Amino acid sequence: MTEPLLQHLTPDELELWAQGLLPAARDIHLAQCAECRALGERERKLFRELARLPRFAPEFGFVERVMGRVRIPSPSNEFENR
Amino acid sequence: MRAATSNAGDGVIGAKDRPSNLTGASDPEVAQWAQHGHEPAFRELVRRYERPVFSLLYRMVRDRALAEDLAQETFIKVLNGIKSYNPQFKFSSWIFKIANNAAIDHLRKRDLDTLSLDGSPHATTPEEMSATALQLGDRGESPLQEVEARELGSAIERAIAKLRPEYRACILLRHVEGHSYEEIARILDLPLGTVKTYIHRGRNELRVYLEDRKA
Repeated sequence: MTEPLLQHLTPDELELWAQGLLPAARDIHLAQCAECRALGERERKLFRELARLPRFAPEFGFVERVMGRVRIPSPSNEFENR
Repeated sequence: MRAATSNAGDGVIGAKDRPSNLTGASDPEVAQWAQHGHEPAFRELVRRYERPVFSLLYRMVRDRALAEDLAQETFIKVLNGIKSYNPQFKFSSWIFKIANNAAIDHLRKRDLDTLSLDGSPHATTPEEMSATALQLGDRGESPLQEVEARELGSAIERAIAKLRPEYRACILLRHVEGHSYEEIARILDLPLGTVKTYIHRGRNELRVYLEDRKA
């Protein structure tokens, strides 16, 4: 057995695995290591929970409230003549 | 729609190139139109980013009205400074940087990060936790407080609220907004290694909070 197969996954590699992006060579270690698989599953579960968080909307009329306080620059003559 | 840079392919736009519909344009294209005083482009930028920016701020300060004030402040700063936007950088990185700075400045001033629904993280006894907790259910909730309790009351939202603001910002930018580590480093003006450390520690703390809840 070569050394990379014995090395536990780093936090970066666990993140890659949870995203389905771990290189195949390191995937072999996971198949043999219950500890890394457990850690990876915990990571994947947390990622799923975070990814499901909703995006909230501000109160109705937010765009108008912002636009009421924005200074729109006047187009330059050069721009208008192009 | 016509591309914002359609004029002879030289990257220079003129009034004749004004698009009738900005929905399919890229952020740098829309920002370029805004730089030339095209009012619909300003609206388009607000429409694209109102939810992501408001959500980040809301989760940072956990107060709807305050988050909306900070979101307005962010957009006004960005749009009034649109001439200084450099399209070589992602517009989203620029606006999140300003939003995050607004949140962190506020938290530093008000020390809101020490207050959560479960009480101060510095509390060492149940009595201290109870004394510092937000008693949303006990004091006759306003409709807005009811909304906040419903929106931010889940286990994962409460766990996020317990993180240090720096960890919270990193986790939200990475896992909710999908920014890369490098982009987060630029947004937060932090070294890449620090961002990685904050994200790993933040995730470890989230797991501990969530597992403690189940135990």
